[in-house]
Amino acid sequence: MEITKFMKKLSSHKGVSDVALIRDNVVKLDLGKEDSKDFFISLKEDYGFEHCSLISAIDNQPQFELVYHFSVIEGSIFIKDSPKTVMIEIHIFLERDTPTIESVSDLWFGANWHEREAYDLMGIYFLGHPDLRRVLLPEGFAGHPLRKDYVYEIHEEEW
Amino acid sequence: MAEMWISMGPQHPMTHGLWTLKVKVDGETIVDADPELGYLHRSVEKMGERRKYFMNTTLTDRLCYASSTTWTHCYALSVEELMGVEVPQRAQYIRTIMLELQRLASHLMWAGAYMPDLGHITGALYFWRDRELFLNLLELPSGSRLLYNYIRIGGVKRDLPDGFEEKTERILKLFEQRLDEYADLFENSKIFRMRTEDVGNFTASQAMNLGITGPNLRGCGTKFDLRKQDSYEIYDEIDWEIQTREAGPGYGDCFSRYMVRIDEMKESVKIIRECFKKMPAGPTMASKVPIRASGDAFRRTEDSRGEALMYLVGDGSDRPYRWKIKSPMFTTISACPHYLKGYKVADIPSIMGSIDICIGETDK
Repeated sequence: MEITKFMKKLSSHKGVSDVALIRDNVVKLDLGKEDSKDFFISLKEDYGFEHCSLISAIDNQPQFELVYHFSVIEGSIFIKDSPKTVMIEIHIFLERDTPTIESVSDLWFGANWHEREAYDLMGIYFLGHPDLRRVLLPEGFAGHPLRKDYVYEIHEEEW
Repeated sequence: MAEMWISMGPQHPMTHGLWTLKVKVDGETIVDADPELGYLHRSVEKMGERRKYFMNTTLTDRLCYASSTTWTHCYALSVEELMGVEVPQRAQYIRTIMLELQRLASHLMWAGAYMPDLGHITGALYFWRDRELFLNLLELPSGSRLLYNYIRIGGVKRDLPDGFEEKTERILKLFEQRLDEYADLFENSKIFRMRTEDVGNFTASQAMNLGITGPNLRGCGTKFDLRKQDSYEIYDEIDWEIQTREAGPGYGDCFSRYMVRIDEMKESVKIIRECFKKMPAGPTMASKVPIRASGDAFRRTEDSRGEALMYLVGDGSDRPYRWKIKSPMFTTISACPHYLKGYKVADIPSIMGSIDICIGETDK
């Protein structure tokens, strides 16, 4: 599938908006939180994104933003006359009082620890994750230090 | 026999850095594993939010001491993408040379660390002797042995010193002879092959889903190298091949991962030679580098260990609002229960050594 055709198909999915090409091989889009799981399943099964590169969590104050990067390794999407492989960047916005989203670690095992890290440092809860524990900070650590409103002195004694 | 958990690490000869591997064993056979990280967490991402963009190159150097130039380069590339800086042609060539020298040093570091894991202390001395040659080369333009801070946003710190090309050529020639020695010492060694062949197998489709990239994925026969597939600097102008292992008995095992890295070193030698041939004259730093940035951007590069990605968000000030680092080893270690299962306890050093662990980048 050519990348332009792929972009046209993307717009027809539920919850998808603002599909844009930010580099010759990178597609960017915004996705609604409710439709995220269905979209991720079709991303893996129908379009062949085999590899989850990164999940980053951003504290935009007040809301949170999750940025997913997926890549094609041997998949079916290509760019004409170029050896480059395609990547997709997905932005999902979460409300501050409900920072939850469905986990994708059952689709891509590589997302497992990225989700654990987002939980550990930013306090995003991934529903259905098999093992949502802290990964970099020790167990029993209080708070999520990459949040912009984190103040160490408040949590110092708790920990 | 009853199953039980054994804890290896954080201080253990197998770990190559501070981390713990808990393995569940049934007699000698591994049933399950649970890796634990965080002993080396220095909160690089948080520190980066408090520093100006150009200050962070010192932090990125310290992500991995065995491969610091590649990490600084990934950061510089991402910031250049964010700010829209155009790097001069000569600087791109110098960067490519430095990256390939670093890749050679990093792969030699890995090979030297891998040999004692298999009980071959002599191998460590051989490989580290040659790594020193490349560290000397990297020291000439940058002035330090491990943490170079040579690649800067917009170019490189300074031009290459006089006589650098001749010195490099002399060392590359010597290194090529040494590679033949390695073939006799390791590839043709029966004991080495017994420890590595058909051990730690995984297939390409498994590896992609597990998030394994770099030489470990190419060892399964997948032609995926970001220097070609998401080309940066001048890799698309240079004639080189992605090194993989052909499908067949024992591919995707520890031995194939060893061979991919050896072949990659040969390819790096080729790339460095061609860079010197094609290198134009000119400035080595962009004439104007802004200090403020807004919006978001990311770039990914082929680190010595796999796919490195940095995602940056700017809010219009001179410091990054959010800086996210993707380390290839982070996901590779997370997948270790999948490729350890079914092997013996004695195979753990052989398998975990073969994937080239670096904890500095993993714990950030």
